[in-house]
Amino acid sequence: MLGSTIRNQQQHVGLQKLSALAGIAHSSLGPNKKFKFVQDEESEESALVGSCVRVLDSLEQTCAVGQLVHETVQAHQRVYHTGSGCLLFLAGAWSRVALECLRNGVPVPHIVSAMTEGMDVCLAVCRKCSVSTGGVGVGPSKGFAPAPPGVGPVEASQATSNGQAATKVTHKTLNTSEHRKTKLSRHFCGGPTVRQAPRPDIAHVAEGLSHGCVRAMDLVVEASRLQSRMSQQDRQCPAFDVTKVVTCVLPGLPEEHAHVSPGCVVLLHAEQAFVARHLKERHLNVALIHGDLSSTYRHLGFNGLMGGQHVCDQPALSRLSKEEEWLVKVESLLLDLEVNLVLVSGLVSDALLQRCCRRHILLVGKVTVLKEFSNTTGAVPVTYATQLSKHCVGAGVKVAVLRDLRTSVTAVNISTSGSSSLVTAVITSLVHGKLQALEDQFWACAYRVHLALQDRALLPGAGETEMSCVYHLRKRAERQVERDRQETPYRALVLQRMADSFVDYISAVMANAGGISRVTAWTLVSQRLRDCDTQGGFSSDLSPLVQEEVPRVYDNVSVKQEAWRKALDLVFLLLQTDAEVITRVDRSGDGAPAGLMLL
Amino acid sequence: MSRLVQKSPSVCVDLPLDNSDVCHKLRLLGQLLSSCFGPTGRLKQVHNNIGGHVVTTSTSSVLLAAISSSQPLLNLIISSIRKHISRFSDCGLFAAFLCVALTEQAKQSGVRRNVVIGVNKHLLALCTRYLHQEDCWCKVELDFSSQNLITLARSVLSSKPGNMLTAKETLHISKLAVQAFLLTVPCNSTGTATLGKTVTVSVQGHSVLDSAVFPGLLVDMPDVFDQEGNQPSSPLCVGLFSVSLTGELSEVGDGIIEVHSGVDTHSQILDQLLEVGKQVVDDGVKLFVCQKVIHPVLQQYLRSHGVVVVERLGVNLMQPLAQLTGAQPVATLHTSIPATAYGKVKHLISRQFGSRTLLHLLPAEESEICTMVLCHRSETMLSELKVACQTTEHVLRLALREPLALLGGGCTETHLAAYIRHQGMHDISETASALECSHTECQRGVEAFCRSLESVAAALQHDGGNSLIDLTCAHHWTLPADEHSEDNLGRCGCGMMESSPSKKWSHLNSKYLDFCPAPVSRDSTVQPRVLDSFTAKVNALHVAVETANIALDVRYIIQDVN
Repeated sequence: MLGSTIRNQQQHVGLQKLSALAGIAHSSLGPNKKFKFVQDEESEESALVGSCVRVLDSLEQTCAVGQLVHETVQAHQRVYHTGSGCLLFLAGAWSRVALECLRNGVPVPHIVSAMTEGMDVCLAVCRKCSVSTGGVGVGPSKGFAPAPPGVGPVEASQATSNGQAATKVTHKTLNTSEHRKTKLSRHFCGGPTVRQAPRPDIAHVAEGLSHGCVRAMDLVVEASRLQSRMSQQDRQCPAFDVTKVVTCVLPGLPEEHAHVSPGCVVLLHAEQAFVARHLKERHLNVALIHGDLSSTYRHLGFNGLMGGQHVCDQPALSRLSKEEEWLVKVESLLLDLEVNLVLVSGLVSDALLQRCCRRHILLVGKVTVLKEFSNTTGAVPVTYATQLSKHCVGAGVKVAVLRDLRTSVTAVNISTSGSSSLVTAVITSLVHGKLQALEDQFWACAYRVHLALQDRALLPGAGETEMSCVYHLRKRAERQVERDRQETPYRALVLQRMADSFVDYISAVMANAGGISRVTAWTLVSQRLRDCDTQGGFSSDLSPLVQEEVPRVYDNVSVKQEAWRKALDLVFLLLQTDAEVITRVDRSGDGAPAGLMLL
Repeated sequence: MSRLVQKSPSVCVDLPLDNSDVCHKLRLLGQLLSSCFGPTGRLKQVHNNIGGHVVTTSTSSVLLAAISSSQPLLNLIISSIRKHISRFSDCGLFAAFLCVALTEQAKQSGVRRNVVIGVNKHLLALCTRYLHQEDCWCKVELDFSSQNLITLARSVLSSKPGNMLTAKETLHISKLAVQAFLLTVPCNSTGTATLGKTVTVSVQGHSVLDSAVFPGLLVDMPDVFDQEGNQPSSPLCVGLFSVSLTGELSEVGDGIIEVHSGVDTHSQILDQLLEVGKQVVDDGVKLFVCQKVIHPVLQQYLRSHGVVVVERLGVNLMQPLAQLTGAQPVATLHTSIPATAYGKVKHLISRQFGSRTLLHLLPAEESEICTMVLCHRSETMLSELKVACQTTEHVLRLALREPLALLGGGCTETHLAAYIRHQGMHDISETASALECSHTECQRGVEAFCRSLESVAAALQHDGGNSLIDLTCAHHWTLPADEHSEDNLGRCGCGMMESSPSKKWSHLNSKYLDFCPAPVSRDSTVQPRVLDSFTAKVNALHVAVETANIALDVRYIIQDVN
């Protein structure tokens, strides 16, 4: 018999669990990402993971909170590909804020409304701090020369956006720059104070967005340059189109061999590679197949003849089998249509692969970019090979053997001669377990650049924005205290704690970046905030912890805002949850387990 | 070989309400549901015991659908409330908690069960009569030209904290809900007017403020290789198929077909599909929609002739689409399609919401179909918001039939309790003689009923605050936990009254001298801030009282344990 069980959460276990789970994020903030081992005690399998998303992915979520956190982080990751560490860290920090407020007897609705107000303050700070990237594009292609130094468009545009304030800021910057003493790391520092004329270059923005993944970001910059070179004639296209980037993971090569090449790179087996070598430097005719290429594959929703029985009037021995028949048919069709290359989104039948190799037709499976090839070659994707006809076949594809690894696989480049901006980032490593992390890092960097261009704005990174939030949250808290003690007695407390959680965040970033202890970091941040107070203002440009020659660090506006909001959503959901209802509980056992009540 | 197992005898429980286990579980159910009640209600995480999907909710429809009990008496209550929710969507928690409260109060009062049942019936009739009276002071008439509709919508939305909406977002969604509702009301129909339909499309990962309402339908674009052909001038001819066009024999049923080995059934059916395709193209169809899967070869054929193909529409969208386009869904392949089966759309627009590309079908003529695109940051909150929006739509529709609303925020409950207490005491002798019971018994019965109603109002408070009632209009007021004076209470639950030092108060759980509640002195500028659906609440009241009466009336529970 099945029923429901209710678990009461008097002690706000949910928030405590969230706080504990968020511990994963502590070391994943800042530029120095550390790897973690996730080990399964039972199977003794282990995984090397490089981000907190991957940690969550490889953990089995047994509790409701874990599932909720995983769902939130995954949803964030799907859209933004970066910022999950920030989300998780702040969810943990704010859950501790909520717990402390509860301990102080603040009622739940007050916590919710005060934290919402705090979030509004922070979002206003984001709006104020954000600097425009307008005009950032790809500079004239000049190989891979380093980007010209200087802050360029970013600060200049801020100066225009709030003119008066900016001049004040400059003045202050000059004053405070004398205080600069500490160098923590190249990642925890403000920008150079020299204001130059805008010198648009995506590489500059990219540098500030690399967040320690310099090599991955170099690949992204390379990809962007390649894309803009490939679509020279089309001036309208964005400087970097993340939808036209794919990755190819190539084990067995040192990491320095990572590079970006135009078109799509696939890994092929020896016999396919042989055909590829045969086909190189020729303009090929291409056919595109959506789904698997095999005799038994049927489109989604097709179940065949239900309840059908086959009746034969003669023994079937003398005749070709169904598969054989299909193989012959497809082979001759491909030959008739003079197709040299078939790109398949699913799997390719081995038998057909063998046959076609003999006929120098290259079949490539698991290709994810059929649409791009369809757009540039005019080929029409079909589901069944038998659907292929003259007008379905596209032309102008080239195949080149990229690198012979002298192993079982060969990397082959497939590109179109048309104006396609499809590029492939080839990611290499000698350590197989690292490949996943490297690929994740590449995508994180790619999306950071993509989102920066999309938002047309950036936030000062390395904790600068958070510092400004701390300042404004504290200011708001002080004003609350002054304004009305009776009406909002809790507001100041909640806002104060929220500010503290940001200090916590900044010190975690600093500690991870600079190898200093969290306590030292706390002290430095507090010192900095006191300085701001004595100067009677805070500006994101104002940065005593600056090293002149080092470029600025930036964060994405949308990523940060969304991560904060989602973190707060998580805290609110758990804060307002007081019970867990477990359904379909088997009641044959005796009594309810501890802490559970059977309904 | 069959084996005979001796049946175990049925289990009979005498007077289930005297059983401590039943009482304990009833109290638990009451706590579970009352803690979800209202805008500051607590959420529940619902999941199964094998790590299934976690739903965070405080909505009665989601919560009650998930829970079941080992006690048949509780299941009786749960299923009765579920039935109410399926008919009215709203006031489920009110009904459930009132029912539990009535049962518990009746037990505590110590009055004979049959007397309690009689008193309950009598008082329910009294309530119903009062609520339908002209001079019922907890009722407002809904004026469709004023803000009332938005207030009604906002009250429903803000009573679900799982939505995680800010005040601004709540207002935005309330306006959208009213807009969508108004779009489904036919403007100039003669004869029987039928309401249209609002289709909800949810998009995850976007700001709530990106949500919008569109006239017409938004359907998923075929993700594979959409084509934005140059559209011919409007209107476009639409073919709608409910039969599967996947290329299999779906209409065979359970029979067996014997097929000769040499026969390729697949290609034969495909030929038939292509026949359909040919006819459709000849008939000038520009939009081809199928509820189920379309064979890729047919899709390719149609696309090559400039037809926009939409497959896997799903059964839910079939009826709205048929209504929008005027097309008759084709359910068979065996006859040629009559020209009357085709419908029309005015225009097609491709719209992008995050990762979702939707095809917007605009109606050729006036149509009562609209689509509400709901956006929210995460799946959990989005699904809660979706349920809340559906409830809102239902509540607004109910308001069309009965353009009335009850004051929210607990004011209706306290007001009704005060009225019943006064009126019930007034004709107590008649009631007592009609029920053949003593004066005192009858009095305690009335008190139990009123306390139950008041406990529902008090259940809106979850943070240790106190519930008060004013002794003139009998509205509901909240005194926060850290406040001890009654000087600064602000406004009452529904927002119609403002506190003043001259007002007299009583705590809800304390006795006060009964009085006839007066109407709020009408200041036309003051509008109620919280409104509840009249129809849903009156029905919920009926369901709660009648279910409680049944629960009180159960003498034996006989369970077949085999």
